Amino acid sequence: MKAVCWMGKSKIETLKVPDPVILNPHDAILRVTRTAICGSDLHLFDGFIPTMEQGDILGHEFMGIVEDVGRDVKNLKPGDRVVVPFTIACGQCEFCHKGLWSACDNTNPNAHLMETAYGYSGSGLFGYSHMMGGYAGGQAQYVRVPFANIGPLKIESDLPDEKVLFLTDIFPTGYMAAENAQIAEGDAVAVWGCGPVGQFAIASAFMLGAGRVIAVDRIPERLELARSLGAITVDYTEQDVSVLQAMRDLTGGMGPDSCIDAVGLEAHSNQLQGVYDKVKTMLMLETDRPIVLRQAIQAVRKGGTLSVPGVYGGLLDKVPFGAAFGKGITMKMGQTHMHKYMKPLLERIEKGQIDPSYIISHRITLEEAPHMYEVWRDKKEKVTKIVIDPWAEKAA
Amino acid sequence: MAEILRKDARTALHEKPGAEQSESRTLGANVVEDGRYMPPPTDEDGKQWVRTSVLIKGEPRDLYGLWHNVEDAPLWQEQIASVTRTGEKTSHWTMQSATGTLEWDSEIMADEPGHRISWRSIGGDSENAGEVVFEAAPGGRGTYVTVLQEFRMGKLASGFETLTGRNPKQAVIENLRQFKALAETGEIPRTHGQPHGPRGAAGTVKSAAYAENVAQPPGLERMAS
Repeated sequence: MKAVCWMGKSKIETLKVPDPVILNPHDAILRVTRTAICGSDLHLFDGFIPTMEQGDILGHEFMGIVEDVGRDVKNLKPGDRVVVPFTIACGQCEFCHKGLWSACDNTNPNAHLMETAYGYSGSGLFGYSHMMGGYAGGQAQYVRVPFANIGPLKIESDLPDEKVLFLTDIFPTGYMAAENAQIAEGDAVAVWGCGPVGQFAIASAFMLGAGRVIAVDRIPERLELARSLGAITVDYTEQDVSVLQAMRDLTGGMGPDSCIDAVGLEAHSNQLQGVYDKVKTMLMLETDRPIVLRQAIQAVRKGGTLSVPGVYGGLLDKVPFGAAFGKGITMKMGQTHMHKYMKPLLERIEKGQIDPSYIISHRITLEEAPHMYEVWRDKKEKVTKIVIDPWAEKAA
Repeated sequence: MAEILRKDARTALHEKPGAEQSESRTLGANVVEDGRYMPPPTDEDGKQWVRTSVLIKGEPRDLYGLWHNVEDAPLWQEQIASVTRTGEKTSHWTMQSATGTLEWDSEIMADEPGHRISWRSIGGDSENAGEVVFEAAPGGRGTYVTVLQEFRMGKLASGFETLTGRNPKQAVIENLRQFKALAETGEIPRTHGQPHGPRGAAGTVKSAAYAENVAQPPGLERMAS
């Protein structure tokens, strides 16, 4: 089959590789019908996430048709159409029982790598480094899905793939970010980053009762999408714009009730601290660039909530923890507990409350994927979201 | 009992494995004794100790049964090719690593159904002893399973560590992790055998550094085939 492979930092190739096979009793094999490039894949492309190996198949956002199932998979049969959560969960351990699906104990064969760095290991993820399990990803024509008895969500309606594909990661991730923000009716919510997760966080914040949503970014097409959802946008690169001033101005001087950092470890800044973090990461004195995190901690109101769906990987410098304590804020974060959100969010799509496909800007083939990683990284061609048809021969 | 275990865990540090009377070989896997936290023994005189615990959704009785069935150990223990019962309390173990075979005999020292098993090697290529304790977790959340394993860094260590990339202490931790996965889900998470592009030299080195060249135990798949 054809698959998108990570061949080193800034080096991605579409290659011929063997087809996946059933390896465990709860496995399924899917014929992938749609897959997508995630903003977090760019962290892999840029070499920010350790423990990638040359030859790794990328991709954790995908859906498809069941081709084959292992002997203990009773809920699926060949021909079923499913969306697959990017986190792999066993459904049986203490964490799955608690609904903390992305903390599953039994799905990361390389748990020892994560234990070294984090104390304890989270669940395995598709196509996202060996620390996270080393599972082959879904930017391919076929993919093996472990614990297919637990994860995949069957799509029984005739909704097109593009409307349900983002249940695989970014819609639930944006929704959990809004839920973690503990929004009360009428609250002011600020969202940093208007990429796909930020978009769904904005949409979800309104669904959960936000009275005002403030969206921060610098990319015009993203800000436009955010305005189309009803958010007030702040372009932090505009002359004379101070984000902290804007937050005060837009909340009667109080600050947002909730702040959502949908940017994560590769934040950009036009200020001096952006240079500071870039130099420190280059010198390996710091692994992440927590520019948004610092700003959000400053911006949030007293006793407010900070929700972090943006990915952080390692060590952060100069995080104003004193401000966090001084204002008594709540912080919530982490990988999405996918399995909890997929079904209720599918219902919202089926009821017509949201059509997640509005963010798609590019539809491409597997062969075009390596080039499009570069395009998206460089923020060219007005990319908002790239979807791949792994069976298309040329661009649709 | 607690007093005996604590004393023996300490004195065992100064003993040669397999040379002493069976009673004094009793190890203490217990983490708490008389309300006090007990740290694991420290490495000394060429002896290595590792203690590791997991919470398993299951009854102590059932988990004890799964562990006690030593002939099924190859389903969940890394690089154990076969285990054959040779007597009521003895078994013969064969370990296949990337570069060679190690064989030893093992004897069960203490056996408290549903609660505790301890063992030691009685000759062969490996000098080891260990104990596993199964106890109900607070709040009805399942069973705490704690393993204390002791071994000498001899041929076993070189076989394990230098050649396969798996530190022997880590192997004990991995084996308990895999025991839990098998008990809770009926399988052990597996990535060996999945597709990938060419690894190249750098990828191969990384893979070995992450101990990915250690064969993943088969879980129940072996029973099926």
